[in-house]
Amino acid sequence: MYRRRPQRVSILLPGERPGRRGFLKLGLFGAAFLAVGGSGYLATRRTRVRLPAGGPLSVFSPEEATVLMAVAERLVPERAGFPRPAAVKLAEKMDRVAAMADPATQLELRRLVRLFESALGGLVFDRQPQLFTEASPAHQDLRLRAWAESRIALRRTGHLAMKRLVYASYYGSPETYAAVGYPGPPLRPSAERPASRPTPPAPSPSPPGEGAAARPAGPEPSPRPPRRRGVAKPFEAQPVDQSPPLISPSVNDDG
Amino acid sequence: MAERRSEGRIVTGREIAQDLEERPDVCVVGSGAGGAVVAARLAERGLKVVVLEEGGYYRPSDADMQEATAYPRLYQDHGQRATADLAITILQGRTVGGSTAVNWTTSFRTPERVFAHWRAVYGLDAFTSEALAPHFAAVEARLNIHEQPDEGVNANNRALWDGAGKLGWARARTRRNVDGCANLGYCGMGCPIGARTSMDISYLPDAVEHGARLYANTRAVSLERAGRRVTAVHAEVLDPVTDRRTGRRVVVRPRVVVLSGGAINTPALLLRSDIRLAGKVGARTFLHPVAGVMGLYPHPIEGYYGAPQSVASHEFVERGPGKIGFFLEAAPVHPVLAATALGGSGALHQAFMARLSHASALIALTVDGFLPEEEGGTVSLRSDGRVRIDYPLRAELWEALREGSKALARVHLAAGASAAYTLHEDPVEVRAESDVAKLDRAPWEACRVQLFTAHQMGGCAMGRDPERSCTSPEFRLHAHENVFVVDGSVLPTSLGVNPQLTIFGLAHLAAEHVAAGVR
Repeated sequence: MYRRRPQRVSILLPGERPGRRGFLKLGLFGAAFLAVGGSGYLATRRTRVRLPAGGPLSVFSPEEATVLMAVAERLVPERAGFPRPAAVKLAEKMDRVAAMADPATQLELRRLVRLFESALGGLVFDRQPQLFTEASPAHQDLRLRAWAESRIALRRTGHLAMKRLVYASYYGSPETYAAVGYPGPPLRPSAERPASRPTPPAPSPSPPGEGAAARPAGPEPSPRPPRRRGVAKPFEAQPVDQSPPLISPSVNDDG
Repeated sequence: MAERRSEGRIVTGREIAQDLEERPDVCVVGSGAGGAVVAARLAERGLKVVVLEEGGYYRPSDADMQEATAYPRLYQDHGQRATADLAITILQGRTVGGSTAVNWTTSFRTPERVFAHWRAVYGLDAFTSEALAPHFAAVEARLNIHEQPDEGVNANNRALWDGAGKLGWARARTRRNVDGCANLGYCGMGCPIGARTSMDISYLPDAVEHGARLYANTRAVSLERAGRRVTAVHAEVLDPVTDRRTGRRVVVRPRVVVLSGGAINTPALLLRSDIRLAGKVGARTFLHPVAGVMGLYPHPIEGYYGAPQSVASHEFVERGPGKIGFFLEAAPVHPVLAATALGGSGALHQAFMARLSHASALIALTVDGFLPEEEGGTVSLRSDGRVRIDYPLRAELWEALREGSKALARVHLAAGASAAYTLHEDPVEVRAESDVAKLDRAPWEACRVQLFTAHQMGGCAMGRDPERSCTSPEFRLHAHENVFVVDGSVLPTSLGVNPQLTIFGLAHLAAEHVAAGVR
């Protein structure tokens, strides 16, 4: 009887020919994936492109960008002050990050996005027989969490890859600085070196050997905030934060 | 071919319009902590030096202090370097000056106990604090390395100072290689005022002044060999804007080659050149794997401003037999760095980001490579030629990362934090000492908790015994007559301190061996 390789699952991109390297290795899950029929209805479901108008993408297809934007919508849910991912042109920014990667890395990333979106993958991995982009927000969160907490290391790796791509692209956007209370760089790009260079103290007479941290502690620093020579502080300090717990006991309590 | 230039200068990929061939005395591959110091010292002796650097050349005025610009521009793999499983994010510079152009300036001499270990285990008898002292002193003078003044300790580092102090732990202000520092806090994005005395504004200009030629955007691809000698270094030129190959090539035919690409790229270049030394090249890579704990404070911390590192605690660097030690430092809290480090996602992640200005990031750096059974990680090549880094995390290392995280949580609480959070995908919240035990039950497993490294060491280890090492104590690559390795890859273990000053000092020493090797 014809027997496929049980350890591998192919996620082929349009126009891509199957080959030894054209597989994303999925370990044990590969077998389960194939057991439900790699070419069945669920595997053929197509992503409906929903992208805001933007420039052409150089790495991701419109479908792949749609998936990543759907992921971003959940990783950065609606909250006052936080711009929506589309408002910072996140698809283009993620594409630009990916464009810098090695072409082989780009291919891996695109396969990952396809696998994450796949309805069949959703069924096998998370009992959600639907495309990620077609799932409800609650189900989308479940799928993201299932990947993040999977026993399969490769899925956790995949989750991390998408998470870092989204968060690096989103929080690297100056439009998000206000939301996180970040005043931005303290110098304007044209700023010159401070006119009066402070004279650093003479090098400390550190004996060779154990390094500074192992030596007796220096004098107690005063509690005053650090001084920024020649640099105007662009924003006033944030109001005092009462710091209620971020994590409710029900989430983080190990009892 | 064969365009020849005589004056010392820095040439970028944009200027290389045709294939070039150089025939210097010495070709230095890599312009970071090792390569720059060697290049300068050799050029000062009148030797003709060519330096090849894969990264681009940027001046202080090019630094816009935006993470979205800086990480792709100045870091390996455009800021995306990591172990193959993404478990450990690897921060490593890729620019003229290497990691010294993006690091947080912390400068420790090599601890004597590390030298003692190297002497006992690897036969590096000449490596003592006394023997290296003049080399360290020379570098410290050139780079203006001095202790950070008290008023230059930002609130993020002060959390570590205060917390460690209240707990009765060792603590000290660190020494930094800066001159005219304004404590802006953007060291990791390229100093915008040129105050960090990184290689691009210190030893490399020294080298150029003495006639060295530095090719930026020029990536060494392979070494050509004839018998026991390397006869040529083949390099490809990259476009400074796109970082893609331009098609131009640079061939350097030197008398002596110095490999200074760092602990990942030097082994990779050797492997691409089919120099494996019986599997020892790329083996025993050490990373000081780092766990972080974020503290949220009632008062603003603004961890994105101020010198990124100015305090360290080495209280737990030696934890007894069978245990891996760790040391504590701070990390800057810029939005991208924080957002990609934080655990959790969605509303929880966002809630933390909303309080970024009140967050302090402290890190525990584990001191790997000292247990007899520790082999560290490996650098290898994928079938398509990409570099692959693997680092299996041993149980002893997880224990150290866990205990280090507990120590950090205690520091935060002692320093007045309302709560401390691990970087687990399901973050552990510590609001009181009674919560610290939660960390024992957290999942310490790859890709369930974020780990980092900014210190890459080993992969081309130095040792007396050629059966157990890649380079001799004189920095010469075994089985080769005219190849030296001068960078973090020669370190046979990690250091337990930030490595740049160790590499500077070793490079200062190595220049004497290299000069003697130019015959």
